Amino acid sequence: MNKITILAREILEESQRQGADYAQCSVSESEKKEFNVDGGRFSLMRTLYNRNVTITVLKDHRKGTIQINRFDEDTVKTAVRDALDAAESGKPDPAWEYARGPVEQDFTEGQPECNTDRLFERTKELLETIGKKHPKILMEQMITSHDSGKVIYANTNGVTYRSRWGAYSFSLMYSGHEGEKSTSFYGSDVMLKTLDKPVIDCGFIERDLAMVEKQLDPKPLEGKFTGPVVLAPYALSEIVLWTIMGNFVSDSCMIDGTSIWKDKLGETVADPRFSMSFEPYSDDVIVPSRYTGEGYPTENFDLIKDGKLVSFCLSQYGANKTGGRRAGNDGSSMIVRSGEKALDEIIAGIDRGILVMRFSGGSPAPSGEYSGVAKNSFMIENGKITNALTETMISGCVPDMLMQIREISSDTLKDGNGSLPFIAFDGVTISGK
Amino acid sequence: MLQDILSPRKALFESGAHTELRGQNSRNRRVVLLNGDVVGNVRSDVSGVSARVYRGGVYGFSSMAEYSPDAARTVLKAATENADFMDRHAGIGKPALPVLPAKTRMTDTGINDAPQKIYVDIAREADEYIAKKYPNLASRRVIAMEDSMEKLLVTSDGMDSHFIAPRSYIYIVLDAMTDAGTPVELYKPIGGKGTFDENFADPSVLYAGIDELYEQIMQKREGVYADAGEKTVILGGIMTGMLSHEAVGHTVEADLVLGGSVAAHNLNRQVASELVNLTDFAHTAFGETCPLPVYVDDEGTEAKDVPLIENGILTGYMNSRESAQHFGMEPGGNARAWSFSDEPLIRMRNTSVHPGKDKLEDMIASIDDGYYLIDSTNGQADTTGEFMFGVSMGYEIKNGKIGKALLDTTISGVAFDMLKTVDMVSDNVVWCSAGFCGKKQPMPVGMGGPALRCKVKIGGR
Repeated sequence: MNKITILAREILEESQRQGADYAQCSVSESEKKEFNVDGGRFSLMRTLYNRNVTITVLKDHRKGTIQINRFDEDTVKTAVRDALDAAESGKPDPAWEYARGPVEQDFTEGQPECNTDRLFERTKELLETIGKKHPKILMEQMITSHDSGKVIYANTNGVTYRSRWGAYSFSLMYSGHEGEKSTSFYGSDVMLKTLDKPVIDCGFIERDLAMVEKQLDPKPLEGKFTGPVVLAPYALSEIVLWTIMGNFVSDSCMIDGTSIWKDKLGETVADPRFSMSFEPYSDDVIVPSRYTGEGYPTENFDLIKDGKLVSFCLSQYGANKTGGRRAGNDGSSMIVRSGEKALDEIIAGIDRGILVMRFSGGSPAPSGEYSGVAKNSFMIENGKITNALTETMISGCVPDMLMQIREISSDTLKDGNGSLPFIAFDGVTISGK
Repeated sequence: MLQDILSPRKALFESGAHTELRGQNSRNRRVVLLNGDVVGNVRSDVSGVSARVYRGGVYGFSSMAEYSPDAARTVLKAATENADFMDRHAGIGKPALPVLPAKTRMTDTGINDAPQKIYVDIAREADEYIAKKYPNLASRRVIAMEDSMEKLLVTSDGMDSHFIAPRSYIYIVLDAMTDAGTPVELYKPIGGKGTFDENFADPSVLYAGIDELYEQIMQKREGVYADAGEKTVILGGIMTGMLSHEAVGHTVEADLVLGGSVAAHNLNRQVASELVNLTDFAHTAFGETCPLPVYVDDEGTEAKDVPLIENGILTGYMNSRESAQHFGMEPGGNARAWSFSDEPLIRMRNTSVHPGKDKLEDMIASIDDGYYLIDSTNGQADTTGEFMFGVSMGYEIKNGKIGKALLDTTISGVAFDMLKTVDMVSDNVVWCSAGFCGKKQPMPVGMGGPALRCKVKIGGR
């Protein structure tokens, strides 16, 4: 930690020596140990030694940023000069603002030490367990890794954070196969602090594998109807949650004025049972993000509470540009509040609809309208899952969907980054052949 | 320019194992103007060295964020140890890779680095042109960027090479409001291979593209929803390129074939209309240099064209050296890595359907009720060949004539079914080389094609 602490101090001093009004830097060293499985067998072991320096300067309210991965004195001096050149070529914008000190904090997050042999054993065990319990699953690719590092953030306003972090990650991509029949591919991911239990029991891995195995005989849906759609956590993120983030509440759409929620703070934008928050300090998060890109300490915050929009997800810059308020963090560690009913009970209440595990769609329009293919999906008829679906499209409008929530599940996916339930929405257009 | 500190390290390569040692410098420049404000102004330079060792059917890899003789020694040692670990615990006793003849393709060409002020000035000039000429827009963004890579590769066999790949673009993003107050958006990348100062020495090269984009967004703000269902459509060249890449190209990457893609059971079978020919071009296509030419890949294989579909029949896969050995095929130079810290993966280069004999205007005139789809936001495909493309710009075709513009929609289908419905192919090819292909690592790729008349499922209301 000493080396990068000294380097960070030198960068700030050099920036001020060269005329910066403000400077901040992030200096990190990281290491990755990784195993790859391709086509069902081990293929590769990687060891990566990485480092990174990001320098941001302000000069007369003009901003420049440089990223390099060398620590030597000449390169760092040149980088500071380049950052100032970049700033001086820009246009003044008094909205740039950064955290003020004195603040000095140290953190240790997750599991910084890697047990490489244990990681290999758990990977091998996972592969063998899947082979035995789910023989129709072909592992297209599995990447298991331990990432760790040391990072220091410091700015000329007297703010310093030092952290050590580390975590194990398991990322699986697979499909079901029987003869020439195959399912759509599906992915399961989980981040772990320890390897104290079999990985198949973590997150939704076991549940996902079992669902994909049932998709080998899909049928096309006939015709078109408007009905309930149950979105599994990843599909919920792709269709609804990231549209909210990208199109309605973040810096870019708020500054350019295209957010259709820009005047809706305090208003009802969703069913009262829907609450969405960002909680880096939740027990469900392995490596919390402790500070924002502008150097402010993070805190949990609610975006939508009981259906009401209670905050935007603005940086200090975004807040200054729009007259709004800086959010508690950069929008990490997403949590959607769970409901009362189990997924099976929700499905039991649907006469005709579909369950969507994954969504492959075009970028949603600024209005929140979207359409795309319902992947890894099932038909629901008379309260039961009847068959897997193929070539089925869904379309709708996210703001309308949020007001037409049918049920929110008590089952939640906890993948180490947050917590998400299944949600059933009414009024979605479902079209087949 | 990277100095050759790697060749002397060949003496450290272990005998009996295939070894690659690669130095790389990747640079990125990016300026973002939002309604005239500079909201992004970033320069990035990242370099390092990596080694990969193949033994017994498994690989060991290591990289270090430093380009020096010591770093080269360290990663060679770590990669060899990793290969030994894997061979000991998970090796499958495969024989060594077939040896490639030793060759060299070195250049003494570096990549010119324009000062950041050039990016800001040209972005601002484009922004001022838009602001002055089209004040009725809801918002505008101009993104000036360059991403370039330089690689130096030495291998235990095959081709040692020095390779540079600069590309630069200006993205224009326009937003307009409909009369009902709903925002609509369109974007267009302008640029291609080459450094920023080469491509945009005269900023007026942007104006025609901006004018065209403005005209389109004014049509789109009065656009209509597509009628959901299966329709006869004409895919413009950009859409055909997306189809070539996403829906077909990925399924015939040999690693995905081994992972169970639909192509595993379709080699030498009819998968498309006889009018369809598809090739992954290395560096030259239809008599011209490709948008992103590749001459040597990151395993030291000399790059050559890989025919994938010939007269509608699936004839080949794209391979690494290892997968080529598995399938008994020749490697074509498709193994490429994004960063110094990435291992080579099977990637496309410049993938395109070949042109046919039809005229676009005749194709449009042949449709009574359908759509002409010309631009895409994004695309995804499944290993089953089921694909989805976002359509950001398209038009109705009514009674053989172009009608109203469409609001955002998506199309979908199953590639090897949909390609059998192709019954007209236009005589010109359009290429696109902006953006990235995603597959563990990002990678710049070229994709292109002529206009195709075919049947697809379209989303809408």
